Amino acid sequence: MTEFINRNKRQLTWTLYAVAAVLLLLFIGDQLAGLKAARVVQTLISGLLVGGVYGLVALGIVVINKASGVFNFAHGWMMVVGGMIFWSFFTVSEISLMGAGLLAAATMLMIMTTVSYRNLLERRNLAIALGGTAALTALMTVGGIEWRWLHALSGTFAGAILTGLAVERFTIRPLIGQPLFTAVLMTLAVAEVLHGVTQIAWGTVELNLPVFVDPQTNSRFRPIRLEAFDGLAIIRVELVIAFILAIVAFIGFILFFRYTSVGLAMRATSEDQQLAQSVGLRVRVILAITWAVAAFLASIAGVLQGGAVGLSLNISFVALRVFPAVLLGGLESITGALVGGIIIGIVEQFGTLINSSEQAGTNLAPYVVLMLVLVIRPDGLFGEKRIERI
Amino acid sequence: MKKLSLLLALLLLLAGVLPMTAQDMLPYPSDLTECEVDLTGETINIFHFGDLSGPYAFITQPIVSAVTDAVNYWNGRGGVCGAELAQVYEDTGGSREAAQSAYDRFTSTYGGELDLLLLYSSDDGELLREQLAEDEIVSYIAAGSIESLYGEDGQTPGWLYASNPLYINQFGFFCQFVAANSVAFPDPVIAFVTWPGAFGQAGTEPAAREYCGGLGVEVLPEPQIFLPTDTDILTQVQNAVDGGANILYTNSLATGPALLAGTLVDLGLENEIKLAGVNWVMDTSVGILGQRVLKPDGLPSVDGMFGSMPFLWWTELSHPAVQFVTQQFNANNRSPAEQNIAYLVSWGVADAIIETTIRTANAVGSLDGVTGAAIRETAEAMDYAVLGGLYQHSFEKGMRDGVLNRIAVLKYANTTMSGAATGPDDALLIDDGAGGKLFVPIVVPLSDFMEVPQLRG
Repeated sequence: MTEFINRNKRQLTWTLYAVAAVLLLLFIGDQLAGLKAARVVQTLISGLLVGGVYGLVALGIVVINKASGVFNFAHGWMMVVGGMIFWSFFTVSEISLMGAGLLAAATMLMIMTTVSYRNLLERRNLAIALGGTAALTALMTVGGIEWRWLHALSGTFAGAILTGLAVERFTIRPLIGQPLFTAVLMTLAVAEVLHGVTQIAWGTVELNLPVFVDPQTNSRFRPIRLEAFDGLAIIRVELVIAFILAIVAFIGFILFFRYTSVGLAMRATSEDQQLAQSVGLRVRVILAITWAVAAFLASIAGVLQGGAVGLSLNISFVALRVFPAVLLGGLESITGALVGGIIIGIVEQFGTLINSSEQAGTNLAPYVVLMLVLVIRPDGLFGEKRIERI
Repeated sequence: MKKLSLLLALLLLLAGVLPMTAQDMLPYPSDLTECEVDLTGETINIFHFGDLSGPYAFITQPIVSAVTDAVNYWNGRGGVCGAELAQVYEDTGGSREAAQSAYDRFTSTYGGELDLLLLYSSDDGELLREQLAEDEIVSYIAAGSIESLYGEDGQTPGWLYASNPLYINQFGFFCQFVAANSVAFPDPVIAFVTWPGAFGQAGTEPAAREYCGGLGVEVLPEPQIFLPTDTDILTQVQNAVDGGANILYTNSLATGPALLAGTLVDLGLENEIKLAGVNWVMDTSVGILGQRVLKPDGLPSVDGMFGSMPFLWWTELSHPAVQFVTQQFNANNRSPAEQNIAYLVSWGVADAIIETTIRTANAVGSLDGVTGAAIRETAEAMDYAVLGGLYQHSFEKGMRDGVLNRIAVLKYANTTMSGAATGPDDALLIDDGAGGKLFVPIVVPLSDFMEVPQLRG
């Protein structure tokens, strides 16, 4: 018997997994059997749309990981900072010229000194910095309240770039060449710093971010109502927007990493920073761009989440819920971020449909799926298999 | 911030009382016990710690502001019995480990001086329950869980004293209200759609279900749980509706009730399904965040939400306690966003701590002689109208939570500021400072203070 088990260990293991999967499917099928088709359709739609938000958040985490190999635990707080900056510009009728100017100047300073602070000594660079500052300031302050979308988007853009570059410059860059784990721990520290900064700058009260408001009714956009399958399916417009943005970002990054020199350089940098530097790649610049892009993605996600439910410090915890999606899709896969996000979104919603009282949807189902997938594909659904050569 | 300032200024107008000027300071509203001992040269510390930067930060931050203002108020008037008032506090970020560290640090640093501690959350109460008893330290808390106040068996009163009724008792009280108003609540079936945890799921116990069932109010056995980070809770709400619920009850804060109300509007069920919740659903934040979604009648989604109100509210400005706290709030230039439950109730807790300390010092003859055991004796003997009536401090017969409650409804002010709006046409709308309009939330008590049922088993 022991010999039989030893000889057929692999087959037996897979058989057990298959039996477990069949039993799980039978259980789910039994639970769903008594439900109206409309409920199942609604759950699928909700899962898909919520999954789009997760995909967008996951994308920011994956971009950093893909370029630098660092798992960014500060992503949730970058979402909060981005959302709060947007709120500051979006809900204030008169924007302080000095405040906007300082933000623009700091952003341009960080951009122009990405390679070296000496760059600013060149007249041309100085002129670009001043011109950029003036242009950004104008975008953030031009016109009145009717221009608030422009103010908020440009302000958030500047704020996100500043945040991303500052994080890279002062915390990640000094760790180039150090073990990756050190940088990962650094992101935990960055998360706490951003937490503190957010609290000091914006306090802790929940803020209303009326970005999805219909100007005609002064109410959130009415959801799309679909009469189907002998019932009603609700499609929330803000979640559709988030989903579309996730798809657009997904396509953009696929093209970016595949067809641009910067994207290829990012991939090379993630393989080995020191090696990349030795072949002439500007690792500093690449990492800086990566962090700036990730911070901007985080800001978009923060605005979408804040617009959907209100802005609060709790938004940072959305990133924690996205971690299973990142691992499921594969740490370095752009496609995986989106697919992982959608799968986790759908799994969560169906888990909630079947058993909401024990939080099966949020506490159990995503992790069961993650476990099953990792057993079969340890690098995630779309993760790159690493081969260590000796 | 600007819109909140406007809104809260209007709240004051609504109640018909304008803030007093600095020269016209109101008298302290409490009937504090006369000092029989001179504590000049000594310091009375108000010790407190809890989540000031974590998930509950948006309701706890004003605690520090209120205690700071109370300390400054007293020190500006010669202190308490001559003793200087001070506060010692720490932020735990909502972490149990940090709460334990803070407790250890407080007890090792202040030793015998730490006899009375203000805590914020049920979780910290549960964590420290046994240690408080062992170290003989009394703790005041706004709201505690059964386990924190009465132990795992629900029958062993500890060293924590909560000013609010237990959440399960608040729920039972709501069932009483529903049963007594059968026209408004025909064939009532309640489903919990609530946050997880000790706070969120308080009231889902079988005892509460049985009690409400006895009153003719059915409670669905399976609560529908959602998280503060959830973007979409259609599934949970539909589960509850499919289960037959026509009342949704929630123990959640700020975005929680607002998301729930918005989901009902999305489903077109805002008239068929009523919303209710624990005392926190009456907070200003809910009134603001609930405006994101308007009902077909044009009023915000949370209009008409029922909730517990075991203390006076900001709009009840005819009461000296509320007048006084409002005046202090304005005099200290507090941020409008802080005008919430925590600021109001924390002034009350500070008052209760001062009264407890005076009575105990009088009894033992000095501040040095004050011990946790003596404080406990005082706390249990006191039947005290905090700030002259903000809430009642009364913990007789082994009680560890407040016994008085009332039900209120969240509404929006009408244009004449004489009552609640019936629609957008007669609603008071103010400029939100960003090109939009804001409704002005008001809380309308529907009953007098009455005793809650005791359901902890």
